[in-house]
Amino acid sequence: MIYLDNNATTRVAPEVLDAMHPFLSDIFGNPSSSHTLGREMKRAIDESREHVAKLIGASDTSEVVFTSCGSESDNWAIRGVLATHPEKKHIVTTLVEHEAVRNLCHLLENEGYEVTWLGVDHNGELDLDDLRAALRPDTAIVSTMLANNETGVLFPIEEIGRIVHESSEAAFHVDGVQAVGKIPINLENVDLFALSGHKLHAPQGIGALYIRQGISLSPMIIGGGQEQGRRAGTSAVPNIVGLGAACRLAHEDNDHARIERLRNRLEDEILKQIPNARLNGVADRSKRLPNTSNISFEYVDGQNILMHLDQAGICVSTGSACHSTTHESSPTLRAMNVPYTAAQGSIRFSLGRYNTDAEIETTLSVLPEIIAKLAAMSPYDKELSALK
Amino acid sequence: MHREAAYHFFNPRNVGDADEPRFAGRAASLTCGAHVRFSIQVDENHGISQARFRAAGCSDLVAAASLLTEQVIGLTTPEAATITQEPVGIDPQCARLAREALLDAIRDFSNAARDDWAGDEALICTCFFVSERTIEHEIQAHGLTTVTEVSKACNAGAGCGSCHQLIQEIIDTELCT
Repeated sequence: MIYLDNNATTRVAPEVLDAMHPFLSDIFGNPSSSHTLGREMKRAIDESREHVAKLIGASDTSEVVFTSCGSESDNWAIRGVLATHPEKKHIVTTLVEHEAVRNLCHLLENEGYEVTWLGVDHNGELDLDDLRAALRPDTAIVSTMLANNETGVLFPIEEIGRIVHESSEAAFHVDGVQAVGKIPINLENVDLFALSGHKLHAPQGIGALYIRQGISLSPMIIGGGQEQGRRAGTSAVPNIVGLGAACRLAHEDNDHARIERLRNRLEDEILKQIPNARLNGVADRSKRLPNTSNISFEYVDGQNILMHLDQAGICVSTGSACHSTTHESSPTLRAMNVPYTAAQGSIRFSLGRYNTDAEIETTLSVLPEIIAKLAAMSPYDKELSALK
Repeated sequence: MHREAAYHFFNPRNVGDADEPRFAGRAASLTCGAHVRFSIQVDENHGISQARFRAAGCSDLVAAASLLTEQVIGLTTPEAATITQEPVGIDPQCARLAREALLDAIRDFSNAARDDWAGDEALICTCFFVSERTIEHEIQAHGLTTVTEVSKACNAGAGCGSCHQLIQEIIDTELCT
């Protein structure tokens, strides 16, 4: 199996599994207990928190709170800020956010909040003048992602944070889920930052929220005094240990350069060999994640490509999801004004630390044939022959 | 995916365009964005000798169109136009879209056949060879007022449906006189 869907989730690293294993067998206990076992669990949590803080560059470990997932972190950050500032009813976010932010903001619109949705250009990039114009005295929070999950396009969070703090009193939340473990993180102008373990080889079911010192955030889960009283619920120690180990691995032994080389090879060859292939997202690779290529195969169907690749043992994802009632092309690609016939044929290749040169070559050896077969079946035959 | 449907998706039959002279039709869905084209070749007995398709849509649509081409080759155009049987394991919406494209191709044929008709009486329904005079007679004899009633009385309009507008016009004329 060739796994090129690392933006969806990643394989648990053997190092992570090794670190977790004792906590799923011999070492157990409630970290809130005062006895030896409890204290041992507490120590493990503290150690993990240090690894997370180190990877993202938090100045103090107390700024890192463990949650159950990235979506919880995003929800908490936004709802927590709003609850702390009930007089502020304005939110700024973008049209290309992950559902955890996008759907929450839609919900908040129904709850009486006003949301300014910043658009992107055809490259997937923001116009920061739009942001400047959007900020108001009653803006409670600005929420943007760092790296887009579909295209890998990066938003300049240092600059966004600077503008937010210079021109308003809003808090700046960053959904960093797709970026952590893939690129260095700079939290200089960031107030809140969400991350998720399973995107960087920790198990599913663990996330964290960075809360800058001095930012007050209402808790969302009420109960015991875990996580300094900020997030109740018995700590998921094995998962927390897993996240810590994954962060340590990403910090000490990142494979970014090699992954980027593989991604570049894949992307270059696809764009060179396949006439109806076009890149979605800014061509300048320094403005994209090093592991992601989102490519549209115009006039053919993405789900068809996905199924043929799957049959060849290659896992990717598509921006078009077909259900019997809707065939929605991705909101991100729509916001970028990607033509419908291209958005329907979009495929996301997202690489990770376990991909090899041979896997990329295998993918390149089967993909052109699949696309050619589907192109031969396309009703857009005139448009396709014009591309050749 | 159901096994037969998956087989047709991975090994689609009759892909492309029917040889000339051919009759073509298309259908698209605004809800799912799929687009399918059908083309057929028809012999002098109105038998479909070739059926080919092109599709950009989900795997169910590809499978449905592929299955449908196999199903209609050898049928007459009115037989093919009135297929209602749902293929196993395929989303009914996708199957319907494929049938719509086929029907559009059959209507393309019927319209051409009507234009080419060189008989003494004007031919209205090319599926069942019903002339204008027969339809007028049925309307007068039985006081018919709708296309459905005409189809029941003399089969006209019971095939591909390309003549429904013409039958309606005949009814309207008869009602005025």
